Amino acid sequence: MNGLMIKGLLFAAVLIGATIYVVNSMKIDLSDPINLITMIGAVAIAVLTVGVSIKYINQMKTDKATGELADENWDGIGEYKNELPGGWAFSFLGTMIWAVWYFLAGYPLNAYSQIGEYNEEVLAYNAKFESVHKNADAATLQSMGESIFLVQCAPCHGETGDGLTGKAHDFTKRFSKEQVLHAIVNGSDQLKYAMGAMPGGMAQGADAEAIAEYVAGGMKGEQPASFGVCAGCHGADGKGNGGTAPNLVEYDDALVHQVVENGKKGSIGAMPAFKGRLTPVQEKALATYLSTIKG
Amino acid sequence: MQSNAALEYDYSVAKLFTYTTILFGFLGMLIGTLIAAQLAWPELNYLIGEYGTFSRLRPMHTQIVIFGFTLSGVFATFYYVGQRVMKVSMAESPFLMFMGKLHFWLYFVGALAAVITLELGMTQSKEYAAFEWPIDVVIVLVWVIWGISVFGLIGIRREKSLYISMWYYIATFLGIAMLYLFNNMSIPTYFASGGIGSIFHSVSMYSGTNDALVQWWYGHNAVAFGFTVPIVAMVYYFLPKESGQAVYSYKLSLLSFWGLMFVYLWAGSHHLMWSTVPDWMQTMGSIFSIVLILPSWGSAINMLLTMKGEWNQLTENPLIKFMVLASTFYMLSTLEGPIQAIRSVNAIAHFTDWIPGHVHDGVLGWVVFMIMAGLFHMAPRMFKREIYSKKLMEAQFWLQTTAVVLYFTSMWIAGITQGMMWRAVDEYGNLMYSFIDTVAVLHPYYAIRALSGVLYLVGFLMFAYNMIKTMTSSRVLTEEPQFRSPMA
Amino acid sequence: MFHWLEKNPFFFSVGVFVVIAFAGLIEILPNFAEASRPVVGVKPYTVLELAGKNVYKKDACYECHSQLIRPFKSETDRYGQVSLSGEYAYDRPFLWGSKRTGPDLHRVGNYRTTDWHENHMWDPKSVVPQTVMPAYKHMFTNLADVDTAYAEALTVKNVFNTPYDAPNGIKLGTLDEGRAAALEDAKAIAANMKNKDVKDAVARGEIPEIVAIIAYLNRLK
Ligand code: HEC
Ligand code: HEC
Ligand code: HEC
Ligand code: HEM
Ligand code: HEM
Ligand SMILES: [Ca+2]
Ligand SMILES: [Ca+2]
Ligand SMILES: [Cu+2]
Repeated sequence: MNGLMIKGLLFAAVLIGATIYVVNSMKIDLSDPINLITMIGAVAIAVLTVGVSIKYINQMKTDKATGELADENWDGIGEYKNELPGGWAFSFLGTMIWAVWYFLAGYPLNAYSQIGEYNEEVLAYNAKFESVHKNADAATLQSMGESIFLVQCAPCHGETGDGLTGKAHDFTKRFSKEQVLHAIVNGSDQLKYAMGAMPGGMAQGADAEAIAEYVAGGMKGEQPASFGVCAGCHGADGKGNGGTAPNLVEYDDALVHQVVENGKKGSIGAMPAFKGRLTPVQEKALATYLSTIKG
Repeated sequence: MQSNAALEYDYSVAKLFTYTTILFGFLGMLIGTLIAAQLAWPELNYLIGEYGTFSRLRPMHTQIVIFGFTLSGVFATFYYVGQRVMKVSMAESPFLMFMGKLHFWLYFVGALAAVITLELGMTQSKEYAAFEWPIDVVIVLVWVIWGISVFGLIGIRREKSLYISMWYYIATFLGIAMLYLFNNMSIPTYFASGGIGSIFHSVSMYSGTNDALVQWWYGHNAVAFGFTVPIVAMVYYFLPKESGQAVYSYKLSLLSFWGLMFVYLWAGSHHLMWSTVPDWMQTMGSIFSIVLILPSWGSAINMLLTMKGEWNQLTENPLIKFMVLASTFYMLSTLEGPIQAIRSVNAIAHFTDWIPGHVHDGVLGWVVFMIMAGLFHMAPRMFKREIYSKKLMEAQFWLQTTAVVLYFTSMWIAGITQGMMWRAVDEYGNLMYSFIDTVAVLHPYYAIRALSGVLYLVGFLMFAYNMIKTMTSSRVLTEEPQFRSPMA
Repeated sequence: MFHWLEKNPFFFSVGVFVVIAFAGLIEILPNFAEASRPVVGVKPYTVLELAGKNVYKKDACYECHSQLIRPFKSETDRYGQVSLSGEYAYDRPFLWGSKRTGPDLHRVGNYRTTDWHENHMWDPKSVVPQTVMPAYKHMFTNLADVDTAYAEALTVKNVFNTPYDAPNGIKLGTLDEGRAAALEDAKAIAANMKNKDVKDAVARGEIPEIVAIIAYLNRLK
């Protein structure tokens, strides 16, 4: 092999090496068939282009132009009557035969359905991860929840869950005072708890203020007497009477389930419903994760 | 056989298109470099208000480099090569002279209108066919006039048999004519609604999946008949002419040409892999893309073999360097494309930066290199002066080669990484990366690409400077050079 | 034979044309025969949505965003159900895009809301610090071209039989009715927004581009 070819292949090797290095550093699984075929394709592009073009460029050094010239001549440009290069002619014929075979015999028309393949892919995924999900312990749920949160929820709630300075709900605490006041004044009828709707205006003025402060403060300290009207539904401890009304203290499974299924519109803005986009395990994982975000 | 000396070719139209090639080349690549930089440093979006955002400028970049730069280059070389390989002068026919000039001026006015309307946001939003209908009408007119020039010159030719370059110019004319008409079919809403709203607005004749099919039947073949076929026409003329070597094999020319014509058109659906077009059609696009490797490589190999035994020319003449490297970049993109057309590979490659990577090893390494080499070769003959500086050309070659390599390697790695990250799942089967993770990881590659843009643009400025100096102040030639272009 | 063709440009050109035209027929005709039929439940765009779609085209969002969810689990997890051909029946032109510098938007209406878009279009970095998407502040002052959108709706109704004014369908009516309906829709969206200038403009009867584009984005489901 001569110097040019070695340099060329070295370049190809560096490019492929760098690609694999970067991909690996992103924890990509190269044994996944699609990823694998892509890497093989990339290798083929680099090696074949460099190899074949340098093979011909080398002939500029070693060969001499020969052949029978055609009679014609255009503006001084002549033309040889040389035969086709063998490798080229053979490959052309080969790909044409392959194409015909592929169409007629190999994978004939309508033998393949991409939606069919998709359905199989989903089934295979579900089967593969079923066991992990069935036995998920709290630690698993927590880390599962974090990664779902980063993909699905962080664009609104921020990567740290802080609500991006007031653009969405802030998970580092349960409620802001405005949010509670908003619920008190307007009531709430969107989360579809067993209890149904919460009517608006059950407390006014200073009472409402005091309740809101108390709830937003995490229900610590002395409970204002006026909270009694709330306790009827949310429970004296505010924990939602076993999931029949929202838990005002913590992010529990029921709350996350109801919000994610139905969306929520409040004093901050609107959150879309994720109905059908998350599985029960994923919702549970999110709830586990949300309950651990602390300011 | 008649001698060339007896015939004075008329290059006035070729010269006019040479100027616009340089002008639009600069403008298009300046915008290209700016949008590349915007992806690395988004603050650059706000240099000229709403008119300077990435999204307003990106269609300008593609339309200017295609319809401004590349087409100008095609026309310039045609008005040069056509006369010579058919041994007729435009000066022989006042009618063709007039048509040629009309061709240029209508084209130029249309191009300016196109740039302005696009910048104002008037667009049909089809890639490579963005212009609204009034501009489309101008383009069709320009095309018809070019057709008159092509077939007019053919009609009065002295050289009975058409040289290979002419095959490709004719195919360019026919291909674009057919494709452009079909894909731009639309109904101006102003007229259809009895005079309501903007007169510029139109609505596509096709909808949804059908529209996508027509668009990519067009889009893929716009690449074929814009970035491939006429550029092959150029290499078949300029490389043998500059080197004085005879074309290696007529048979290879022949099979490559008819093979390319036949196969190219079938491959359009590789832009629609995994979409809602029928599965069999996607498969067809994929298969024909693989077959397409050979007719594409055929021309490149023919050119490399034409240079057999001419190593000294390769090392001594930067123009030959440009053209040999262009042929190998052509090989790179016509192997990379087919491999990206394989279903599984396309699942990764589609929508990622690997595609712009593929695009630019074709356009920067092949199209621009070839057009610049052609114009360099033409300059001493058109302006009767020696090329201003060989040293500058040599430096430009290495600078731009470095730039192309940086461009495609950075986008190659970026695209493959991004495509694989989109698919990646964690140990629980949930998506491993949020979308923004896959954006953030690209920053260094975007920065490298922006750098490559600056290098390439500087190279193009060196080309422009060298050309302008050649036109105006370089040493005058007394005799037309036969082969190798004289350079100081 | 080829030598003969090369000496007879007319037949040469006919030959080239036949060879290149051939593939087009086979590629395109079968699908046209199928025609893009709307899937059940897909409605034509309202005038305001069309105005928004034209803003989407004008500012070339499709250069960075696709609208095509491919049949991979990784895509359906991220963006929702696989895209179906019939969902695009009223898309003239189609807006699938060919590059995902930003995420797919075919179903973005399912998981983003008006107030989020308002923040995001005003300053994307305020919600996604690492984004490369430009801010589109000019949309908050530029007015949407409602008349042209109406003209487009009327055109597709008359020329392509797009079912406007059908029973239970979207009402188009006269130009004045179209404008009024667009303003009603705009008010509903502005009610969920915070920007004072936009709210004032809508109250005055004007429709800034941002309102139209949010109507369009919300419709993508
Ligand atoms: C009639 C029963 C009832 C009473 C009384 C009641 N709530 Fe509620 N509350 C609910 C229900 C049910 C919901 C969920 C409503 C929905 O579907 O959106 C709710 C929702 C809320 C929410 C929003 C929860 C979230 O996570 O978004 C807050 C805050 C709240 N209540 C606070 C109060 C306070 C403070 C009081 C006393 C002033 C009170 N509630 C009284 C039944 C009640
Ligand atoms: C398009 C933006 C957006 C996305 C995406 C989003 N949210 Fe929200 N979310 C909001 C907004 C805005 C609120 C606050 C509504 C209010 O109170 O005004 C909210 C509120 C909530 C609440 C209610 C807190 C309470 O008790 O009132 C929960 C729980 C929640 N989000 C969880 C999630 C989870 C889990 C995800 C991801 C699966 C998610 N959100 C995705 C915007 C979003
Ligand atoms: C330079 C590329 C670019 C352009 C141009 C662009 N975007 Fe984006 N877009 C992004 C990126 C990157 C993201 C992901 C990060 C983010 O949310 O900002 C994004 C996100 C979005 C999202 C959120 C989708 C999601 O799933 O989170 C919407 C909606 C959006 N863009 C709309 C638009 C509209 C409308 C336009 C045109 C007016 C536009 N974009 C132009 C790059 C771009
Ligand atoms: C054998 C020849 C070629 C084949 C089979 C081929 C194939 C492809 C494929 C599969 C894509 C990606 C489609 C996608 O997933 O989005 C693509 C994109 C592209 N290619 Fe090629 N390619 C070839 C040669 C070339 C050459 C020589 C050039 C230019 C000089 C070129 C320019 C482009 C452009 C501009 C795009 C981008 C289209 C878009 O906007 O999406 N291709 N090509
Ligand atoms: C200085 C040189 C250039 C630079 C820095 C440059 C940069 C860019 C960038 C940043 C994009 C957008 C990619 C994206 O959206 O991710 C692009 C697209 C494109 N450029 Fe260039 N460009 C250059 C020269 C050219 C030339 C000379 C041509 C053609 C002759 C060209 C043709 C294209 C095409 C066809 C696309 C669209 C690709 C697609 O949609 O996939 N570029 N370029
Ligand atoms: Ca057009
Ligand atoms: Ca594209
Ligand atoms: Cu293509």
